[in-house]
Parts: sequence; C-alpha cells; structure tokens
Amino acid sequence: MDSLFARADAIRPVHKKRNPSSDRTLSSIAPHTALPKSLRPSSPSPPTHKHIKNLNLRSQLTRQAHHAARTKSLIHDAELLFKEDNGGMHVESQMERTWRVGQRDIAQGAGEEAAKGRQEWILDGGPYRTRYTRNGRHLAIAGKAGHVATFDCKTGTLHTELQLQETCRDITFLHDQSHFAVAQKKYVFIYDRDGVELHRLKSHVEPTRLEFLPYHWLLASVGNAGYLKYQDTSTGQLLVEHRTKLGPCTTLTQNAHTAVLYLGHQNGTLSLWTPNLPQPAVQLLAHLGPVVSVSVDPSTGGRYMASAGADGSVKVWDCRNWKGSVREWSARGGKAQLEWSAKGCLAVATGGTVNAYNSPAIKSTFAAHVPPPLFLTHPIPHRPLTSVRFCPFTDVLTVGHERGLSSLLVPGSGEPNFDSSEADPFERKTARREREVKGLLDKIQPDMISLDPEFVGSLAPPTKLTTAVHDTVDIPFARLPRLERLRVQGLADETEVAEDGRGRGDDGGAGDDNGKKQSREEREKRKMRGKGKSMKRYLRKQRKNVIDPTAVAIRTKLEKQKEEKRVAKAIEKGEVEPRKPSALDRFRRS
Amino acid sequence: MVKISVLQHAPSTHLPSRPGDPVPTSRNLDPLMHPFSRARERTRALNAAKMDRLFAKPFVGSMEGHIDAVEVLCKKPGSLNTVASGSWDGGIIVHDIAQRRPLRQLQGAHKGKVSGLCFAEGDRLLSCGVDSNIKLWNLAADGDGSTSSETPLNIFPGKSPFNSIDHHRSGPIFATASNTVQIWDETKSAAVSNITFPTSTETITALRFNLSETSVLGSIGSDRTFTLYDIRTGKAERRVVMQMRSNSLAWSPTFPTTVLLASEDHNLYTFDVRQLSAPSQIYKAHVAAVMSCDWSPTGLEFVSGGWDRTVRIWKEGHGHGPEVYHTKRMQRVSSSIFTNDARFVLTGSDDGNVRIWKAKASEKLGIVTARERAAIEYRDSLKDRWKWDSEVGKISRSRHLPKPVYQAGKLKNTMLDARRVKEERRRKHTRAGENKPKAERKKYVLAEQS
Repeated sequence: MDSLFARADAIRPVHKKRNPSSDRTLSSIAPHTALPKSLRPSSPSPPTHKHIKNLNLRSQLTRQAHHAARTKSLIHDAELLFKEDNGGMHVESQMERTWRVGQRDIAQGAGEEAAKGRQEWILDGGPYRTRYTRNGRHLAIAGKAGHVATFDCKTGTLHTELQLQETCRDITFLHDQSHFAVAQKKYVFIYDRDGVELHRLKSHVEPTRLEFLPYHWLLASVGNAGYLKYQDTSTGQLLVEHRTKLGPCTTLTQNAHTAVLYLGHQNGTLSLWTPNLPQPAVQLLAHLGPVVSVSVDPSTGGRYMASAGADGSVKVWDCRNWKGSVREWSARGGKAQLEWSAKGCLAVATGGTVNAYNSPAIKSTFAAHVPPPLFLTHPIPHRPLTSVRFCPFTDVLTVGHERGLSSLLVPGSGEPNFDSSEADPFERKTARREREVKGLLDKIQPDMISLDPEFVGSLAPPTKLTTAVHDTVDIPFARLPRLERLRVQGLADETEVAEDGRGRGDDGGAGDDNGKKQSREEREKRKMRGKGKSMKRYLRKQRKNVIDPTAVAIRTKLEKQKEEKRVAKAIEKGEVEPRKPSALDRFRRS
Repeated sequence: MVKISVLQHAPSTHLPSRPGDPVPTSRNLDPLMHPFSRARERTRALNAAKMDRLFAKPFVGSMEGHIDAVEVLCKKPGSLNTVASGSWDGGIIVHDIAQRRPLRQLQGAHKGKVSGLCFAEGDRLLSCGVDSNIKLWNLAADGDGSTSSETPLNIFPGKSPFNSIDHHRSGPIFATASNTVQIWDETKSAAVSNITFPTSTETITALRFNLSETSVLGSIGSDRTFTLYDIRTGKAERRVVMQMRSNSLAWSPTFPTTVLLASEDHNLYTFDVRQLSAPSQIYKAHVAAVMSCDWSPTGLEFVSGGWDRTVRIWKEGHGHGPEVYHTKRMQRVSSSIFTNDARFVLTGSDDGNVRIWKAKASEKLGIVTARERAAIEYRDSLKDRWKWDSEVGKISRSRHLPKPVYQAGKLKNTMLDARRVKEERRRKHTRAGENKPKAERKKYVLAEQS
C-alpha cells in the first residue's frame, strides 16, 4: 500500500512551497506591471560589505554608505528649493541671431531691477581696472593716472574716492569690501574702506597685477622684475617670493577652485604657480609673442582656461591635458582681455568691441581657426579696453576702458543662486563680521595649495618604489641596497651579469661552475685570457652597475661583431647558405 | 523675436520683511559654490582638536582633612555627592563633593589604617580596619540637628585584621576579607559563615559583590589569585592563578559577567567569568603597579590609579592610549572611583588629599546653551571624522607626561623590546616548531582551578 502511495506521489507535505515560476497568474501579469518611475530607486542601493568579517567595521561602513547615499539624494532635493532662475536669451526661429540684439533691447526686455545693471561711467584718468568683491556687491576701480574708488554698486553709494597722483596698475579687494590693495607705481598699498592707507608693502616692488586668494588669505603680486610674491594678509608676513626668470609680467589670474596662480609671460609662456613649489607646477608655451590675458573657467571647476596673445589669438585650453588647445581663433583688433563667467560664458574684449561666447561651443574641439558662434557683441569706442569683469550673481559685465567704465547685460552669464554661507550680496554688518572671523578660523594653510585640491583627506597613494626583495617582506626603498634600488628604478645594468655568465659558460671544461673546483694552474692560465683587449678592459672598468649609453653602445657593437663571426663560421662549415648580395642592399640599415 | 530674461534678485526676498526678523538665508549646495570644502573642514577639525587640548583642565579641586595617606574611597549608592574616605591614620571623613566640605569627620575611627569602607542601608557606614574590628556608623543627623556622636552604632569584633569590606546589593549582609572571606549579618555580632577555597592559605586583599547576580562574590588574594564564591552554596566556586597578584577588582555595572582586575604587573585585565582561561582584554599604559580601579556607572569607561602617580581613564575594550591625569603634588594613587553621574573621578593618594577630576578633560562645567552644545557636538564629530589625519590625530592623541613617568615608560618599552628580541632569537635557534610564540592574552593566567 505504502509503495502505491509513494508511486502516486500522494504523500506530499502541504506546506511545501510551490515553485514561484509556475505561478501562472503572476507570470501573466509580470511583464505588464512595473513600479512607477517616481517610486523606483533612483540610485543603486548602497553596497553591503558582506565580505568584511569584523562586525563593528562592517556596520560602520554600511552606515557610512547609507549616509552618503542619503546625502546625495538630499542634495538633489535641495535643488528644488532654488529661488531664482537662470537668465538667458533664446531665439525662436532659425534665422534669428542673439548677437543682433543690442544692449538697449536687452535693457528694455529685462526687469526694472536688472536694467539698472546697464550703465556708463565717463571718467577721466586713463584706462581703468576693475574688481568685484566675491559677493558682487561692491566694485573697486583704479585708473592708470591714480583715480581709485570703491563703491556699493547696488545702491550706488561711494565708500571712498582717492586721487593718488601716481600710476595705479591694478586693484583688488581683500577678504571683503573693508580692505583693498592697489598696485601703485612703486609698491603695493593697502587701504581700508574709508580710503585710509593702512600698509605700504615695500617688498612688492613695481607691481603690475594683484590677486587675492580668499580662503588662504594670501595677496599675490607680480611685477616688472618678474617676481611672484605671496603676502599673508592675516599674519602680515611675506610668505614666499618666486623668481619666474621670465622677465616682466603683466598677466596674473587665479583659479578660484584650486588657488593656483596662472602667469602669462612676455615670451608666450604660461606658468602655473603654487606657494610651495619654487618652480612652476606647469609651464607651457601658449602663444607666439607675449601673453596678454588669461582666464580660468569657474563653471567647470577650472577645467578650461582661455588665454590671449598680443597677436590677437585667443586659445581655449583643457587643463587636464596640455597638449595643444581645444580651440583657437584670432580676434580682430589685437590684444584681447578675457574673462569667464560663473556659468561658463567667455567675454573677449578686443579693439573696440566686447564679444561674448557661450559655453558648449567654445569648449568643444574645433580644428579650424575661426571664431566660435557669437552670443553677444557690443561696440565700445573708447580704446583700449583694459579689463573685463563679470559681476558675481548677476548678468552684468563691466568693461574698463580709456574713458571710464561701461557695464553691459549678458543674459545667462551669472549664477542665480548664491549661498549665504559663502558669499551673500545682501549680507549685513553682523553677517560680514561673523564671516570675517569664521574665514580667519577656517584659513587654509598655504602649503595645502596644489593642482588637485581633493588630495586633502584622501588616502596617500601607495609608494611605487617599494619592492619585495624577499617574498614576504616589503622593504622601503630608502633602506634597500644600492643594486636593488637601481633594479627597482630600472637603471640596473642587467646585461653585464648575463654576459659574465655566458662568458663563463663559453670557457667550458669540467667543474668550472664554481671556481673552487678549478685547479690552480688552470686558474692562472685563464687569469688574463681575453681580458687584455682594450675594449673589454674599458667595459670592465665601466662596471658601475648603471646603464651607461656608451657602454651599452660598445656592448651592442661587440654583440654584433660576435654574431657576424658566428655567421661567418657557420657559412664556412656549410651549415648556413650565404646571403646573396642584392641591389636593394644599399637601402638596408646597418 | 528673441526671448530675453536677465537675472535679478528682488531685495524683498532677501531682506527681512520687518525690522528685527532674522535675515533670510539661501543655500546652494553645488560643490562648485563651496571651493576647498574639504581643506576647510580639515582646518576646522584641526582647530577642534587644538581647542580640545587647550581647554583640557581636568583638575576640579581637592579635599583635605586626612593626616596620612588615603587608603580607601567609597561612594554612596543613589547619591551624587556623598563619598567616604578612610586613611592610614585611622580616620574616616564623609565628604560632600558638590560643596567640597566634610559632612562628618570620624577621627581615630580605627587603630591603624582604615582598610575598607562601604555604605549600608539607611545612611549608615560600615568600616573595617587592621585593628580587627568592623564598625557601623550612623551618618544621619539627629533630631536636634547636630550630627550624632563619634561612637559607632555597632562594633563587630573579628579575629584577624581586615583588608576589605563590601555590602550586599540589597540584603542586610556584608562580606569581609581577612585570611578568609567572612559573611556577616548586620543584626548578628559574629560572622555568619567563613568561606575559603579548599587548598588556599592566602590572605584575601579585596572582595566585591557582583552587582546583578547579587550572591556572587569575587575576591583577590596575596597568592596571585582571583576567586569566585557563591554565598548561597557557601563555597568557593572557581579560582584563577595569575602571573602577579592583583591589587583591586571591580565588577562591571552593565555587563554582569565582566570583572576588572588591577594588577601588580602594571596592567589591568577584564575577565569574562564564564571564560577564565584568558583575560578578554589587557589594558597597558601604567608604568608601575596599578593600585585601584573602578568602573564608570555607564560601564563604558573605568578609572585606574597607579603607583606611578598617575590616574588613567580607559575606554572599555581599548587596551591602550588612555586619558592621563597627573599633578606635581599628587603622590601614589591608592584609591580611585567614578562618581555616580559618570562626570567626575575621585582619587585618594599618599599625600592625604582626595582630588576631584573631570571624567572628560575638556568638558565645560556649568550651563551649556543649545547652540554651544551643537558646536561641541559638531567639533566632536569633526575630530572623529578626521582622526586618521596625521596632524589632527597626533594632537588629539598625544599627552604630556611627567618626566619620571615618561622615562620609566621608555625604559619599560626598551626592556620589553629586548625581552621580545631575546625570545625571537631563542626561537630561531631551537628546533623548528618546538618553541611556539604564545598569544599575549594567554600569558597572564597560570592556572584555572575549581
């Protein structure tokens, strides 16, 4: 009876799970159902560290991964809370061009508040240089003849106005609007907001350009002597001075994301400097003739750079790869002034016009040397145009020229959403004070400046020059014996050893694998054999265990001779057919 | 037609709507808007570590009164500020640590040193001394407001000098250590029972009742032993013989099976009493014998005081790098306890003072506002996050030590190193596999007996 039941398979536990794939209902619905897109997990779930045995460590890592994933999604959510929208100009039909729209039309089309950005200041005192504070609220101007002024450009209130009666070549704000530095005829001077001279920096001689690194509190200047000098404005000491050895320099700009300074020189060289390296971190020949302007793109974190030469050529570079420019063209009118905006719009001021180019076109590789599609153009009749600055967090571009300043509207060039903790155009007195103190507390040490700012807090890369001499222990490079060190570096002369080995093998005879077995007479007989030749003696004397080009050349020559001898011997014996000379032999490389 | 829109910030949205309102802030979390965020955070972490060391002023105050060295300290269960201390001169002082003044002074409570103190139910204090007497004192104020006289409520005479006393967690029972372990009832004048390990002839130096398994008793003796008793069976259950004798023991308040021993060989050991063959953790930092130890009521930390004139505060499970406290005038630390709120540490030393220390060296005493609390927590998390950074870690790890302690530590390291090298060489020159290295934890227990 039991066997019958068994054969019928009637005795089967009820609770046994049915195969899910055999569920017909489910399999019929499954292809037609899915989670709605909004409910689907947007990112892959954070990794589970199941391979880690230590439970404490595993749970800590898992917690960290979850935390990181949540942070990422929250950052994405935070973008929904942005208050402001990007500006921009959009054409509605194929035939229209944005550059045909003039400043008057843009100002009419803009809102009342934004239209105030379009202004003209007619000033005496020569070509002007300008500089905004980091929040875009305040503007400092310096005329060549010594007219210096700072003012609040939203309300139009003047902080100070000075007639310095001597050449002023550049101006920059320090950490905020309360101090500014002017590069004057002989030295750099620091003034406070009310125009009181606070410091004369005597070590900065004949400065031409100034830059302030806000997170490091460093004022950098470069001058006619070709020295790049860093002054710490929080402690007051001259941090370092680098001799560029490239003569007078009139081009200096900073990468706001790495605090690396970019210098353009008279011979067309472009060099990147950090305070902790006595030589440039990167040096490249960018132009034929002097470099007149350099600017770094803040919208990509300094990945792209534009440079202009005195011959009117403008080049856009990819800073990850310095092999040639991404795009280059020549601007009409000679020396061009360049500036990138926060949203990646490039302003080029040459001759009597200011041109603005928009982002994807200027950064894409293009072989022909033609200007990229123009976004906006504006003529300014007062040559020369000496400075272009975008105002942060607005769509305003300020151009300094011979007769004063003009500010234009470039829709879509400014970052619409500011962060109050970094730079707030609407900040008040207490907030400014607090930010000053916080900035001093968070001051980054100057030796942390490097081309890659992300190296802080990352793991140290494994050193390449360690080696396992024995199978188990890694001995640090510095403690290795000299020969091992040479071997690791690839400088050890391995050939010599091999040759010696072969030399011994050639000698033949019984038991000369280790010298002990040779009889005394034999040893004496062989002592000098074949070693007296001048070439061999040279090679022996040259035995320094380092690859030496002459020694290598001689050794290859000897090898070749030996090979020729061997072939000749073989031909003599009749083992090899001799090569018949051919007419083409004259082209053979010997 | 060209559509033009130019960016403009309406001041009304970015300025407070009424005077006195907070200024509206806006946030943009785009990493490009926050350059050098990592480097700045590291700077903040570095500052946090520096500030932590800058404000590390752990010494709160000292309480005087004893003529001779303080031998024993005990805290009153359920009270934050009442602590009793007994001295070599035979005096007992009950301190109020909040006001830093003595509540009761019992001069000449015993002849010779007071070797043990513990609180009993109802504001009474039990003390034992080398004069072979146990005395029960009433600490409560009398009806007329004055404290009661200097005569004890009761005297329990013993046959041999007592070394330690501990009260049962709930019942009216206490245990004393002399050449045997004796169990006493508060209402009876003679010992209820004597317990010894069958083969032992040692002197018991300290004993403690377990805090949750209340009938279990642990003791340490001069024969380098740690013994477990059960007063229900009235027998010694198990015994461990170690390399060197222990000076003090304490049961963990949160892990009932964990016991901490302060050993003469400069180390502290935690044992799991279910597994007595090896300590669960060795705590190495003292450079002389550890004289006393006590758990924090949280069970996450403990304090130890040593013959090297330092007090160390350890994290449970972290066998090295404890917090170190020392002063110029503090002598050998013979007793140390955590207070019941886990915020302070009390130490009694050879110079006759009872010192009060903060358990966290840089903690701010007094009212902490919510903003301050948030800043402290942020700094703590920064320190934890950047502790692998060489500079931050170095600042938060390094401690100044008195020169003799530092030199002794160096000498100790040299000796241990030499011993290790010798061991290695010896192993190298014996037949392979004959002399295997022993795990560090297995070295300290000689025998386990039951």
